[in-house]
Amino acid sequence: MTSFQAELGADEGIAEELAKGQREISIAEFFEKNKHMLGFDSGARGLVTAVKEAVDNALDATEEAGFRPDIYVEIAEAGDYYKLVIEDNGPGITKEQLPKVFGKLLYGSRFHAREQSRGQQGIGISAAVLYSQLTSGKPAKITSRTQEADRAEYFELIIDTDTNEPEIRKSETTTWDRTHGTRIELEMEANMRARQQLHDYIKHTAVVNPHARIELREPGLDEPLKFERGTDQLPAETSEIRPHPHGVELGTLLKMLAATESYSISGFLQEEFTRVGKKTATKVLDAFRDRHYGRELSWPTPSLNVDIDAAITEAVSNKGAEATESFAGEIESVLTSRERTAHFELREIVDNVAESVAEEFGRTFGSTVRENAVAAVWAELTAFEPDAEDGRDHLTPAIYTLVDDATSTRKDDATIQALAERIARRLANSDGTQFRLTHDELSRLVAEAADATVEYDDVTVGETARENIIEALWDISRTVPDDAPKVRAIADSRDTASELLEAMRETNILAPPTDCLSPITSELVEAGLRKEYDADFYAAATRDADVHGGDPFIVEAGIAYGGELQSEGKVDLLRFANRVPLVYQQGACAITDVVKGIGWRNYRLDQPGGSGIPNGPAVIMIHVASTNVPFTSESKDALANIPAIEDEIELAIREAARELKSYLNKQRSLQKRQEKQDVLSRILPEMADKVAEVTGRSRPNIEGAMGKIMNNLCIDREIKNGTVTLTVENYSDRSESPEITEIVSVEPQDLNGAGSVVDLDGEWYVQWSPSVSAGEEAELTYTVGDDADFDITVEGIEAEKLTLNA
Amino acid sequence: MSKRTEEARAREQLIDLAEEFYDQFAGGQIPEMTLPTRTKSNIEYDKDSGVWVYGDRTSTRSANSVRGARKLLKAVYTIEFLDQQLAEDRSSTLRELYYLSESWDNTEAHFSDQDESNQMIEDLEIVSDVTREDFHMRPEESGATLMGPLEIREQTRRGEREIHCQEDVGEGGYQIPNNPDTIEFLDNDIDFVLCVETGGMRDRLIENGFDEEYNCLVVHLKGQPARATRRIIKRLHDELELPVTVFCDGDPWSYRIYGSVAYGSIKSAHLSEYLATPEAEYIGIQPQDIVDYDLPTDPLADSDINALESELTDPRYQTDYWEEQIELQLDIGKKAEQQALAARGLDFVTETYLPERLDAMDVI
Repeated sequence: MTSFQAELGADEGIAEELAKGQREISIAEFFEKNKHMLGFDSGARGLVTAVKEAVDNALDATEEAGFRPDIYVEIAEAGDYYKLVIEDNGPGITKEQLPKVFGKLLYGSRFHAREQSRGQQGIGISAAVLYSQLTSGKPAKITSRTQEADRAEYFELIIDTDTNEPEIRKSETTTWDRTHGTRIELEMEANMRARQQLHDYIKHTAVVNPHARIELREPGLDEPLKFERGTDQLPAETSEIRPHPHGVELGTLLKMLAATESYSISGFLQEEFTRVGKKTATKVLDAFRDRHYGRELSWPTPSLNVDIDAAITEAVSNKGAEATESFAGEIESVLTSRERTAHFELREIVDNVAESVAEEFGRTFGSTVRENAVAAVWAELTAFEPDAEDGRDHLTPAIYTLVDDATSTRKDDATIQALAERIARRLANSDGTQFRLTHDELSRLVAEAADATVEYDDVTVGETARENIIEALWDISRTVPDDAPKVRAIADSRDTASELLEAMRETNILAPPTDCLSPITSELVEAGLRKEYDADFYAAATRDADVHGGDPFIVEAGIAYGGELQSEGKVDLLRFANRVPLVYQQGACAITDVVKGIGWRNYRLDQPGGSGIPNGPAVIMIHVASTNVPFTSESKDALANIPAIEDEIELAIREAARELKSYLNKQRSLQKRQEKQDVLSRILPEMADKVAEVTGRSRPNIEGAMGKIMNNLCIDREIKNGTVTLTVENYSDRSESPEITEIVSVEPQDLNGAGSVVDLDGEWYVQWSPSVSAGEEAELTYTVGDDADFDITVEGIEAEKLTLNA
Repeated sequence: MSKRTEEARAREQLIDLAEEFYDQFAGGQIPEMTLPTRTKSNIEYDKDSGVWVYGDRTSTRSANSVRGARKLLKAVYTIEFLDQQLAEDRSSTLRELYYLSESWDNTEAHFSDQDESNQMIEDLEIVSDVTREDFHMRPEESGATLMGPLEIREQTRRGEREIHCQEDVGEGGYQIPNNPDTIEFLDNDIDFVLCVETGGMRDRLIENGFDEEYNCLVVHLKGQPARATRRIIKRLHDELELPVTVFCDGDPWSYRIYGSVAYGSIKSAHLSEYLATPEAEYIGIQPQDIVDYDLPTDPLADSDINALESELTDPRYQTDYWEEQIELQLDIGKKAEQQALAARGLDFVTETYLPERLDAMDVI
């Protein structure tokens, strides 16, 4: 290019020369250059991405139609290529839509919708189609059957890479065993090196979609991998929301302004945005007018050197002495009763007084008269003739009061006087007589005045003082009643639109509604983990919705611990965005950063060095649901570092981790208790034996002592003459309610009332759930004949705390 | 009381203790053993006997904890061992008990060090009110000796021996046996008992013939005196009505040696009545002597200062005399050994210092 640059201007033909090289980039070329961004950078990854896109689509489609998803994924070797088949039981796609959905990039219903969904850009599945077509040359084979249809539609299609339009190779109707749904078959260059990621993706999908049934077949599996449903409950339906005023950008706003049918800004705001009613619209409009028109400074009515009456009388002619007198007097009395008056307020006052005087005296005060009166009064109120001899200056004293209040008491009078005077002079010299200024203009004016004061009077006027003065002046400025520009006018002016956007952002507006989100809910997060991980402990937390850039989001976290989970090495971190597992780029993800930053030792997990991914037999899962999940790239593998979202992620994890901590603490104390019990149950019998040996007596029963030492619940059986007595002694420091079930081989009689007996085929179940307070005991008695067998089980109390001697 | 009945009583007491554990088990109670707390804050002066004994505070060894349970298990094993030893009329040393525990079938009952086995015997002494001598437990020989005009009869395992502690012994003197109650005093020509801390000073006194010149019985304490040494001093005082004096270095550790002779030690306060000689008097080296005789000194180490301060809070030293001396020592910040007197010549101690001090104390 530089060589062309050097010759620029020298040869007129250059531009044309360059223009020859400029042409539309075909979608295929774009894809080829950017396939890493879309997740198709290698054969191994391409396969995972294709499965991911197809499964995401399938889940979205079935859920939207209210079906419980039943998804079938098959990968098979097909000569040099791999064949990928994905089937769902969704509503099917109509014959008209189908080619576009699969055969056109950037076609989708999601991109413009503010609603939580898996897919968003409309790139995913068509990118997979394109990838297969580019690598194998084979068309995508799609079968779809809508609910009403008798037969299924079968298509073979490719994407015309020049026009980005689907090209149908074959179209016919066919039979299909599913009553409704869609099946897509792709052949592509691929390999199974990413088998682990593929399995992870499917498994993790099953975790966050406990309502879905998923089956995976691939060449490396002897048996298909089946993930059954954990719940029949479909995720809550989401509703689309309009954009939030805090979440739009200028370009979007301009587009919206151009497209709207509203005429006024107020209507536009209320119509096109969420959480904007009449009141909020008015607030936005005021803020907009302040920016667009500026505010008008208001002034007090001076008490000296002012003669409003005379000024008006002079300005009004031919209205008769009485009417004129009444007109002037009325205006003067209104003004003196007011603290401050802005120019537009004065006009209103004059108008009002003119109306009432006209009514009373039958004399009309026309617009010329009124304007003269306004000008005359305004000249009185804001008289500024500092250079004339005996000239009046009403501005400086008014400003002096404000400046004096706004600055620190250490400033001496002369400085404040000088500063006030400079501000007054600049105001008087500004355009027009209305003292109409935007905040920016006002700031500039005060800054200049302050700078001059610093320069000429050799004093300091600090930043804080300046800001305080500006705010004091802004506070006494009044928002003008001028009509806001209409939508059309704003749409045509980028600057005005930008003022409107600023006004929208400045205004406090309620956070967007969250019914556009569908969190998994903590119950189902736990159910999903339970379903796929065999652990000892599960915890889950769902946070309340929060907002980032006008898009609401919800973070959920779940933790599984112990059991069959692998105890060596780091914990498994499962990341999800809008129910889609994030498989790649764990290191670049905000979720990972948050997990690493948490001090897991506090939660009783091993964390070498006190930071980083913790070690231990645990799975940590985080789900971020949003109408617009901020990914780091189009391949949607990693969450961007947005502080508001990171904060919520941390809070969600900590909420779940607190439960983990108390569980682990309890485990630890039970373990200690177990160790103590182990040692004591070895030592004390030996001691008892020795004591018996030394004293020459038989071995004493030590169960009571053991129970007391361990603060345990002791259950003892005593049988005397066919009467069975079960004694529950509670040595712990709180009340216990064990659930005791005995299976007796002989029918028990004369139960003492506390328990119940159920006869089950010649075996009798004695059930008894006494509540025993600390230090108390309870008894159950019944009679049996001889030779009864007992089989006792006790529930409702930790095994470590039970001494069973029955 | 005859030897037989003493032993019978000891066995009875031990079995009683085991039975107590048995009954606690059988009654569904957590076995425990209550002992007086053995710290300086829990000793008090007994006006009747004039010695320091344990106060009311107790600590409990309970099977409630793993530690306590192990202690009690060891206690029962020790009881069994002592019972057997008495039944067979044998004896053993404290150190032997420690090694012997290694032979017990239960590894939980093994003592982890000798302090633990020593403490166990002390515990059993206290709860059973039987001395360890009656358990036939003896310490290692301490090697403490007597020298002076005293004739005794000792009941040894090899028969009776009559010994004159000046004429029948070498320069080393008569070695005090582990159980001095086997000694019978036959005759003596003693005016007072002089207990000496260090071997060097004891040898100096013998070499200078101080025992002959002043008719005194020189007892070599060998540092912190063993029970047998303290017992024989007590008997010399009680039975022969002899004044007892103690001659040590001028440092806080030596004051403790005097304290255990005169007031009884904290660890064996349960035996104070049997071991302590409250009438024993301290000769020196006193901090006052350091000043008066201008003795060569060493500065007080931090540990010395701590020990002195701890003695100020020890009820046994809360007398005007000790408070004055200890405060003086803290003030001058110096300590002196007995041998420092040699700075004035080898005979200074026997010719000047001791006669002056003993005269001042009204002993001679």
